Amino acid sequence: MSVAEKKPAGAAKDRVLSRRGITVTGGFAVAAVLLVLVPSFTDSFYTFVATRMLLLGLFATAYNTVFGFGGMSSLGHAAFFGIGGYTVGIAVTRWDWPPLVVLAAAVVLGAAVAAVFGVMCLRVRGIYLLLLTLALAQAIAGLAFYQTEWTGGDNGIPNIPRDGLPSSVREGDGYYMLTLVVVAVCVALLWMYQRSPLGMSVVGVRESEARMSATGYRTGRLRVVAFTVSGAFSAVAGVLEVYLQGSVSTANMSWLISADVLVFAILGGARHFLGPFLGAVLVTGLEVWVSTYTDRWTTVLGIVYIATALFLADGVLGRAGWAVRTTKSWWEKKSSPGGAAPPGAAADPAGVPAEVRA
Amino acid sequence: MLTWLTHSVNGLAYGSLLFLVASGLTITFGLMRTVNLAHGAFYLLGGYLAYDLTTNGTDYWLALLAGVLAAATGGMVVERAFLHRLAGSELPQIVLTLGVAYIIGDQILANYGGDPVAPPTPPGLEGPVTIGDWVFPKFRLVMIGVAIALAAVVGALLKYTPTGAKVRAAVDDEEIARAVGIRVPLVFLLVFGCGTGLAAFAGVWGGAFTSLAPDSGFEVLLLALIVVVVGGLGSIGGALLAAFLVGLVDQYGKVWFPEWALFTLYASVAALLAVRPRGLFGKAVFR
Repeated sequence: MSVAEKKPAGAAKDRVLSRRGITVTGGFAVAAVLLVLVPSFTDSFYTFVATRMLLLGLFATAYNTVFGFGGMSSLGHAAFFGIGGYTVGIAVTRWDWPPLVVLAAAVVLGAAVAAVFGVMCLRVRGIYLLLLTLALAQAIAGLAFYQTEWTGGDNGIPNIPRDGLPSSVREGDGYYMLTLVVVAVCVALLWMYQRSPLGMSVVGVRESEARMSATGYRTGRLRVVAFTVSGAFSAVAGVLEVYLQGSVSTANMSWLISADVLVFAILGGARHFLGPFLGAVLVTGLEVWVSTYTDRWTTVLGIVYIATALFLADGVLGRAGWAVRTTKSWWEKKSSPGGAAPPGAAADPAGVPAEVRA
Repeated sequence: MLTWLTHSVNGLAYGSLLFLVASGLTITFGLMRTVNLAHGAFYLLGGYLAYDLTTNGTDYWLALLAGVLAAATGGMVVERAFLHRLAGSELPQIVLTLGVAYIIGDQILANYGGDPVAPPTPPGLEGPVTIGDWVFPKFRLVMIGVAIALAAVVGALLKYTPTGAKVRAAVDDEEIARAVGIRVPLVFLLVFGCGTGLAAFAGVWGGAFTSLAPDSGFEVLLLALIVVVVGGLGSIGGALLAAFLVGLVDQYGKVWFPEWALFTLYASVAALLAVRPRGLFGKAVFR
């Protein structure tokens, strides 16, 4: 598209937008139908896997509000995930709370603890932020480990009943549907938050904290907000996980979960809203697939980590976008009347059209 | 009274173990600014190799040497093959080294199973020492001495030898260091090898102290990371002091309020980092 072509775009804008709107709406409709139909194609094991993919996807999306959009690499999100889980474990086995109350309590607790994380991390950046969030999460995990009276210590809380849930969504396919609805609502809320002025200003802090603060934004407060939102939704994912598994233990708080979600985000593409979700789905799917061939899944996971670090800095979606751009510019160059591109143009990933260069 | 002495010395001995692990990290992480989460895996690698060799009848010191050399070689391979491509970006480093740690840990699990093993106590250090009424394992006392000696040696090497000067120059300003003829990639390679070698040494000794299991590498790694950061990145004396502090806090936390043991440790570390990110003796925060 040349500069001259861009001018009259105002008139055609509505039409172009609506076409894009149709594509997006259609895409979502197809995706929704497919997601709803998943249980009818799969047996109970794969429905379990699909449920897990959904809730881990939500966790990764929630994580990304701090990581990808907030520009703060946290290594402490296992704490929020685990807090959600332990809320279910303790509230259901001790007081027999109904699921909605449990969910609300988990959201409040997750948000509150995340806000504390955010406040404590105000003065640190980069590697220090990673280590400080790690230390904070380990402190919480230490509570889970040693407050045995409440948490069951190393054994955790087994046999958490699902009696509070309506019987139609208690098991298998029904629970998948429940998870699908909760995850869809949460992801939609996260999307709205991310597109809101508040979410946008958090992105602004990522881009340039100095400029944002010079423009009058309270950047520290925005960082805390990002953590709070992220912690609340991570706790929801933790709640879903424990209702699914029926038990909670210190493994739900292990710092390796924080590392997992970090890798989900990077692998999928942290600059894209749905990238982390995709990352979670890919890694979980790979785990199931590899485990049918070998017991050494952890080794394969290690290889995935190494490959991610070396080749996927901008994630699968980032790579895909790059591939699309390259192909497009190659195609345009090939089909343009002049034909011959200036030397070196093939190496240009941005795909600047030949007319603009000349 | 004697109980408190025992607790304190126990805490110091555990702190010494942490310093042995952290000494490698102060070099690779504190000095080179390369985050190596596979450090705990190299700790395990050294420990398990020494355990394997000694149970098959190899001389103890030979087994120790083999463990250290294997981990040093492994570390250099990782540095040369992968890590040097990621210089300066912590996040990919974390992901990559975690991947390496997963692979090593899983292979150890596959070969030796999940039950804890313990390399033998170094010959000549078995049994207790008796001072008046006070009885204490000799090995643990020696460990404290070794930690202090190691801190002195590493510190002196970095500060007073030409090699140390080259390392510091390479870290401080890579371009200028290259310009004056220091082979920076080689320096980094060797430094990284020393770091993982030290991890393996700590694994052989620490394994005799606390025993080893495929997942104990991460436990030790986290505490060692904390020691390095609390001490201040790159400060060897700071790491030693932090190691002793962490050892004592851990020991007394377990004695006084066992229900809050890990919480007190990590929460106090977090509080310190929140107000003073550079740690006790660190230079100004980088980045």
